[in-house]
Amino acid sequence: MTALTIDRINKRYGDLHILKDISVPIGKGEFISLLGPSGCGKTTTLRCIAGFERPDSGRILFGDRDVTRALPEHRDIGMVFQSYALFPHMTVAENLAFGLEARKVAPAERKRRIAEVLSMVRLQGYEARFPRELSGGQQQRVALARALVIEPSVLLLDEPLANLDATLRDEMRFFIRDLQQRVGITSIYVTHDQSEAMVMSDKIVVMNGGVISQFGSPRDIYERPASQTVAGFIGRSNTIAGTITETLGADSYKVETSCGTIGTHGPSGLARGADVRVMIRPENIRTGRHGEAADAPASDENMLGGSVVSATYQGNATQLQVRMASGDGMVVDVSGRDPLAVGDQVTLRFSSRNAWLLAS
Amino acid sequence: MSATEAAPRVETPTIGVGRIGPVWMLVPALVLLIGFFVLPYLSIITMSLREASTRAVYGEGFTLAHYATALGDPFIWRILGRTLLMGAIVTVVTLLLGYPVAYHLANSRSRWTSLLYIFVLSPLLVGLVVRTFAWMIILSNNGVANKALMAMGLVVFPLQLMNNSLGVTIALTHVFLPFVILPLLGNLQAISPDLAMASRSLGNSRMRTFLKVTLPLSLPGIQAGSILVFVLSISAYVTPAMLGGTGGRTMSVLVVQYLVDNFRWPAGAALAIIMAIVALIVVGLYLKLTARAMRRLP
Repeated sequence: MTALTIDRINKRYGDLHILKDISVPIGKGEFISLLGPSGCGKTTTLRCIAGFERPDSGRILFGDRDVTRALPEHRDIGMVFQSYALFPHMTVAENLAFGLEARKVAPAERKRRIAEVLSMVRLQGYEARFPRELSGGQQQRVALARALVIEPSVLLLDEPLANLDATLRDEMRFFIRDLQQRVGITSIYVTHDQSEAMVMSDKIVVMNGGVISQFGSPRDIYERPASQTVAGFIGRSNTIAGTITETLGADSYKVETSCGTIGTHGPSGLARGADVRVMIRPENIRTGRHGEAADAPASDENMLGGSVVSATYQGNATQLQVRMASGDGMVVDVSGRDPLAVGDQVTLRFSSRNAWLLAS
Repeated sequence: MSATEAAPRVETPTIGVGRIGPVWMLVPALVLLIGFFVLPYLSIITMSLREASTRAVYGEGFTLAHYATALGDPFIWRILGRTLLMGAIVTVVTLLLGYPVAYHLANSRSRWTSLLYIFVLSPLLVGLVVRTFAWMIILSNNGVANKALMAMGLVVFPLQLMNNSLGVTIALTHVFLPFVILPLLGNLQAISPDLAMASRSLGNSRMRTFLKVTLPLSLPGIQAGSILVFVLSISAYVTPAMLGGTGGRTMSVLVVQYLVDNFRWPAGAALAIIMAIVALIVVGLYLKLTARAMRRLP
């Protein structure tokens, strides 16, 4: 049973079609990220769920209750904002009590729940402080506590970490994820930061131009992106254009490219002769010097030749730019100590399991 | 040498702007204020303490008699009370009318907003005398308003809409509306729309969100706007002089009558000073009161 169903919602502002047939089923207790560049429709989707925007068509269900036309205050949501949105004229305790008062929770129970949630966000003793007396990270924890103390059925987070500095942001990712799992609350998280979505989410909705580019687990989206847009948006990737010459089983193919024939896997059902792109992540490519007596290639291993154009030391790895004979450029991460120099001829080796087909 | 002697003082280097700049920048305004505000005020205070004279503007000796006479005169108290009451009514009515306009302007993204801005500022775009004459045309016994009311059969005899406090209150409310809208607008625009959304998400209706979040946070705008309007209303001259008649006579009209019509300069000066002190006390009390309400704001 899904806790939250977004069912073919559309939203237009004048001529702009902001959301096009967005559908996402969300299971109870799941942490879902809406990921995409600004203007992709992720925030509008969140606002439709919260009730601050009304979709032109489609439905939004909380459990089996249709809330499409319900006011935000009747939806039973908790919301966390990028700006924290704490009430500046209220103390921490008053901020937390505000939603409980609206729900007519008795004073004694109110007090108990505020104390409980403050200990969850590790801010005991801050009850009497005003938001302006707290650091950014503390304010965001209060905002989180304020959203959780009302025990909503859905937690909505709108880029909550975007205003924090990098170190704090990393810390808060795990803090939020850990808290979400302990409380077990269904959460929807809007972000443009792919690594944030990656480490926090059960599933990611990649959005672009008002449509869902892909909906899947972080692993799916990273290793088996549905399109070149998704591949380009999540992490770094190399792509080579080619044509399918042979299908080997359900999801294995041979592709003829300008760099030679490449064995790869990909989505099932692609036909022979289809124009495709082969995607390989930089960290999945091994290098060897050209002509080096390397171990014999495994049966599913691809080998391509090229020359090093630049080598950038990055601490944990060295990033190589390699120009292939065909003129295509490839980026390769080398973790070994053996430095390849600019101008060296190299052989790039990668398993067909690490190559993935993108439909052109 | 004593043990407590201070360590050698390090002169903090100051460059132009650091120390001198700000002081220099105050000079033009200070000159203006001293020349055209402080000095004239001192002269009026002195004048109010002089004896009356039939041969000159004021006599030789000093006296508190003008204050004593004025404060012992129920007529003066009545005019003073009317002036303050009218100021209070204009302030409250402009607030009630102006707040929704400012709220709408702050939250609207429509392209008609700029038109509304011009509309809001329109009272200030018309000259004072022209505007007041326009109000006379509208409010007089056979003016537009009365004719319309009689044509609709709502009244049989024309209503007394001017030559009393009512006419002055209507005209002042019209012209001072922008003075309450503009500070409020600035204030409301500075309140993040996220706050209202946060409140709604927590289960609060629009009304409760307004009363518990937006309204308290807009108190500084309310305070600034209402003080402006109050002070301007109680010191207005042309509007009460032209629309007030005897029934709507205010302190400023009375002061000018003393000076110009009756040639009682010291007594008129005393009235002006009394009015200024009362206004100062009222505004002071209001500030204290509102500061209490705003003590939780950042």
